[in-house]
Amino acid sequence: MNKDGTRAYSGWFAEQCEDMIPTVGFNMRKVTKGNVTMKLWDIGGQPRFRSMWERYCRGVNAIVFVIDSADHEKLEAARTELRSLLEKPQLANIPVLVLGNKNDLDGALTVERIIEEMNLKTINNREVSCYSISAKNQVNIDITLQWLIKKEAFKMVAQRWKDSAENPKNQTQK
Amino acid sequence: MGVFYHIDKSTVLQEARVFNESPIVPRKCRLLLTKIIYLLYLGEPMATNEATELFFSVTKLFQSKDIALRQMVYLVIKELSTIAEDVIMVTSSLMKDMQPKSEVIYRANAIRALCKIIDATMLPSVERFLKAAIVDKTPSISSAAMVSSYHLFPAGKDVIKRWANEVHEAINSKPTSLVGTASSYLSFTSSGSSYNTPSTSNISQYHALGLLYMIRQHDRMAVTKLIQQLAGSSRGTFGSSSGTLRNPFAYCLLIRYAAKTLDEDPNSRQQMFELLEGWLRHKSDIVNFEAAKAICNIKDVTSKELHPAVNVLQLFLSSPKSTLRFAAIRTLNKLAMSHPTAVQPCNFDMENLITDQNRSVATFAITTLLKTGNEASVDRLMKQITGFMSEISDEFKVIVVDAIRSLCLKFPTKQVVMLGFLSGVLRDEGGYEFKRAVVEAIFDLVKFIPESKEAALAHLCEFIEDCEFTKLSVRVLHLLGVEGPKTATPTKFIRYIYNRVILENSIVRAAAVSALAKFGVSAEDSEVRKSIKVLLTRCLDDNDDEVRDRATLYLKLMDDEESAEKYVKDDSTYSLAALERQLVQYVSNQEASEKPFDLSAVPKITKAQAEAENLKSRSFDLVSTQTIGISSSAVASTSAAAIPTSRDATPTPGIDQQVVYAHQLEKIPEIAAFGSLFKSSVKPVELTESETEYVVSCVKHMFDEHIVFQFIVNNTLNDQLLENVTIVMQAESDDGSLVEEFVIPAPNLPYDQPGSIYVAFKRTNPEDYTPCCFSNTLKFLVKDCDPSTGEADGEGYEDEYLVEDIEIVTGDHILPTYINDFQNAWDSMGEEGQVIETFALTAAKSLKDACTTLIDLLGMGPVENSGTPTSPSLHTLMLSGTFLGNIKVLAKSRMTYSPSSGVTMELSVRSSSEEISRQKGSSRYICLFKVSKSGTFAALASVFAKLFTDSRTFVVVQYLCNTIGNETIFNCEGLLNEIKEDQNRIMKFIRICCFGSIFICNALMWTFFTKALNKSSSSLQVTVLNSATNFCMTAVLGNIIFGETLSLQWWFGASLIVIGTLLINKSIHDRKDRMKNKDKRQ
Repeated sequence: MNKDGTRAYSGWFAEQCEDMIPTVGFNMRKVTKGNVTMKLWDIGGQPRFRSMWERYCRGVNAIVFVIDSADHEKLEAARTELRSLLEKPQLANIPVLVLGNKNDLDGALTVERIIEEMNLKTINNREVSCYSISAKNQVNIDITLQWLIKKEAFKMVAQRWKDSAENPKNQTQK
Repeated sequence: MGVFYHIDKSTVLQEARVFNESPIVPRKCRLLLTKIIYLLYLGEPMATNEATELFFSVTKLFQSKDIALRQMVYLVIKELSTIAEDVIMVTSSLMKDMQPKSEVIYRANAIRALCKIIDATMLPSVERFLKAAIVDKTPSISSAAMVSSYHLFPAGKDVIKRWANEVHEAINSKPTSLVGTASSYLSFTSSGSSYNTPSTSNISQYHALGLLYMIRQHDRMAVTKLIQQLAGSSRGTFGSSSGTLRNPFAYCLLIRYAAKTLDEDPNSRQQMFELLEGWLRHKSDIVNFEAAKAICNIKDVTSKELHPAVNVLQLFLSSPKSTLRFAAIRTLNKLAMSHPTAVQPCNFDMENLITDQNRSVATFAITTLLKTGNEASVDRLMKQITGFMSEISDEFKVIVVDAIRSLCLKFPTKQVVMLGFLSGVLRDEGGYEFKRAVVEAIFDLVKFIPESKEAALAHLCEFIEDCEFTKLSVRVLHLLGVEGPKTATPTKFIRYIYNRVILENSIVRAAAVSALAKFGVSAEDSEVRKSIKVLLTRCLDDNDDEVRDRATLYLKLMDDEESAEKYVKDDSTYSLAALERQLVQYVSNQEASEKPFDLSAVPKITKAQAEAENLKSRSFDLVSTQTIGISSSAVASTSAAAIPTSRDATPTPGIDQQVVYAHQLEKIPEIAAFGSLFKSSVKPVELTESETEYVVSCVKHMFDEHIVFQFIVNNTLNDQLLENVTIVMQAESDDGSLVEEFVIPAPNLPYDQPGSIYVAFKRTNPEDYTPCCFSNTLKFLVKDCDPSTGEADGEGYEDEYLVEDIEIVTGDHILPTYINDFQNAWDSMGEEGQVIETFALTAAKSLKDACTTLIDLLGMGPVENSGTPTSPSLHTLMLSGTFLGNIKVLAKSRMTYSPSSGVTMELSVRSSSEEISRQKGSSRYICLFKVSKSGTFAALASVFAKLFTDSRTFVVVQYLCNTIGNETIFNCEGLLNEIKEDQNRIMKFIRICCFGSIFICNALMWTFFTKALNKSSSSLQVTVLNSATNFCMTAVLGNIIFGETLSLQWWFGASLIVIGTLLINKSIHDRKDRMKNKDKRQ
């Protein structure tokens, strides 16, 4: 699961990471797109780290939840984990972006199926988007970046932040 | 430091919110992190949840690129790693920082932090990076990786062992150019200044060597090779920097490993010693000192070997650096305890140090001088000590007092000065340890120097008047009770003791009552007894139960002489180890606990013996107090190592070990049926070399009618599993006295897990204790197995393995015991059971040698301190023991020593059973008798062979007849006539007899010869002696029986043979004696 997350975020850097190892704990990266800089916290998805997701999601601009759309067995777990994460009162109103990675594989779920399987329609207290991507083949990567930047732009206007180029925070999560 | 004034944990935790702010302000965060570290350093306790919360806030700081801030983050992570939960969270971030592409300063620190947060399960995933880091060109990174590996080693042995090659490469790597980055582990690059010093230190070699040794420490060969490699390559290049090792600390480490190897492997001694001696000339002080210290710490170092080391230390004594002076004097001080003469050459330099401003140096100088100095200088030294006693700390005071204690015993005539000093310091302020040392020193004076007794006791009385330590008061009161009544005026102590009853707490009061009672029981004067009774009666009103109980008991005892003798004056006590074991057995055994506990089964030892044990343990304390205040791991480890070795050397070491064996054996039902264990051999006998594939040693356990051999087998091949391991024992001389009862095989022996095989024999004749010898063969089923999992595969095959022989000697049947009054016991034993023999021990180098040999051989315990000869030329060794079946044996050996002829001794053995005395005397020489017998029979065989031939038979018969006597002369005449008349009939008969005798004699000759070969350790000796006896006997018999005359040449030749025999025997003895203490010649 978490390989996907790290791979997806590597995708934003247009990097090739052939021998990705699972993220143990978290990693921090900065991404610059145009004149926007984003800080990405890549957090491990193994069960031992799930309890710590919340700590890193507090006060962020957006949460990105990456799942393996070809792995049907783990879908159930992903759904419950996302649910319990979003139930945290500290994380209320933070927009969520769900990405179904590995759409290049046979048997990968379509966007509609993901929305259905993850019960995304029932989340109504925040903005939720869902894309099907392939980090390997760079499919839909740009769209997700645009989405994130838009979130930032929106917030920046709303809050009239002065240091606009510096600080949007972003959360990659599986 | 104003910022750190009044720091409060809760405020700091509050302020930690700045970590979550955006953007991050590095300066503010850094300051706060410093505060956190400061708090932790002060020992401020931090709850797990607080620490965890803090930890996760700190991890947010990874987003900042500020170098100084990142360094603080690493530090805080390291500090919090033990308190906070889920610290594993930062693993990926740290691993990213240690990648080759990140900055050097990040890499080294990230590695160090990483090793704190990962565990063994994570190790394989970071293995690749750590391995790369170890061989990194930058010393700080390489060091960090190796130090981290060192700390991770206990958890991840198997993984880290695979890195040996990388570490080796790190040791050998040449230093990179000294520019910049090398030093950046600690640098604040913003300052831009270059720190060149750390990079030239080559400290990474030190780390690499430590790690490499850790990896290889269990492989002796590899360690030796490592030492040789590193030492060898730098040899001859001292002074130049071309050697492999360039770091002095690495050399120190190497020296410690060399010293350890030397200690553990006697074969390497010469080689290692040469290396150590070479290092004494190294250009660095620290290396010289380490080498000198290592030489001083060698267990059996000779004064010749010490000489160069002491020279180096002597130079240091006059060094301007006080650390060097301290190190040198401390080492010399320790050395002076064992080799005072070796230190004497430094006396002059040490005298100068007495006035050193550094009090620690001065203290050591004085105590060392006290040990090495002569009687004349004692007074002066004592005056100087008194001068600065008040200026030094308690630890050093204890050292001084201990030095004075040993000095008192060395120069008894100086006791007045010493006692004056001791009583003086006793009045000074001081902690418990210090007071205890002083009181114990005075106790020793009382015990060993009778002249000082009165005065010392008086000082002690004064001391307890105002003593704040209950423990010490009790001990002093006890001593007063024991020693007081023996003095000229016991009454003067009574007042002091009774004062305690009035003034002190209940524990001291009880002790005082006991002491009083001892005066009462021993007092001659009825007046004194009466007053004591009055005092004790008053104690009956005490408000403490114990005090009242004791008073009542003693009042009763004073009226009853007999029980008083038994309870108050009794001089013996129970062997505590044995008592404990039997009580445990009694409690755990349901059946036994129905009956009352049988106290008489517990062996009794005298108080003197118990005291001897105490004294020994105290001397260990003495050694360990020397290490106080100095946190050198090497010293700690040597003193720790010294304890087990010196325990081996105690004369009655069996007790502890015996308990363990008895316990093991009880668990085996077959063996438990043999009854109680009489004796187990003290040390296991090694039956193989320690490097062989199967290491076998044997312990002999003696029971009343049985002998059990316990073979301890260790399989050192990690790819083999042994199953059904058994031992086939074959008695060399099978005379049926020992019958094998059963063998308990070891079902399986995996790699490196020793197992035991038991072989039990029954003595058919319980009275027969003939020594005998067994040859042993190990038989087992070998299965190959996977070294890593230990799982066996395949069928396996039968194999056997021959190990060395094992002997049962007289000493195995004897338990050393301790008796108080040897002379008395000796006389009461009487002359009946006495056997006296005289031996010459040509090979023994000194009386001490001879004593230990004899004690070893006979398995008896020396009494009345006779185990250590006091005079070099004349000594009487007294031994006592209990033979199997509770027969008391005493042996007295008078020995003389002269350098030319070795030790001559007269051994007389007395016991309640004559048979045993005889056997003890003779068992060791039986082989020599047998050789002589076999020689004689060989000669007789040739006589009969000659008789068998025609011509002489008649002459001999005539001769025999003549010698038979006058009264039968007529018959003889008749017989002779008859022979002459009818030669055929009688001559034929005689010839047949002779013919038969040839065979009988030859058979006897061979029997004795083979028996002698069995008994003797050298077949050459037996053969030569046999031939010589044969030769001489033939000549003598030839002369007597056949009247042959012998020429001068013959006598000359014969004497050459005899001399040659003696020479051969002597050389064999000399050679053998070095290995075994077995040879004695009549």
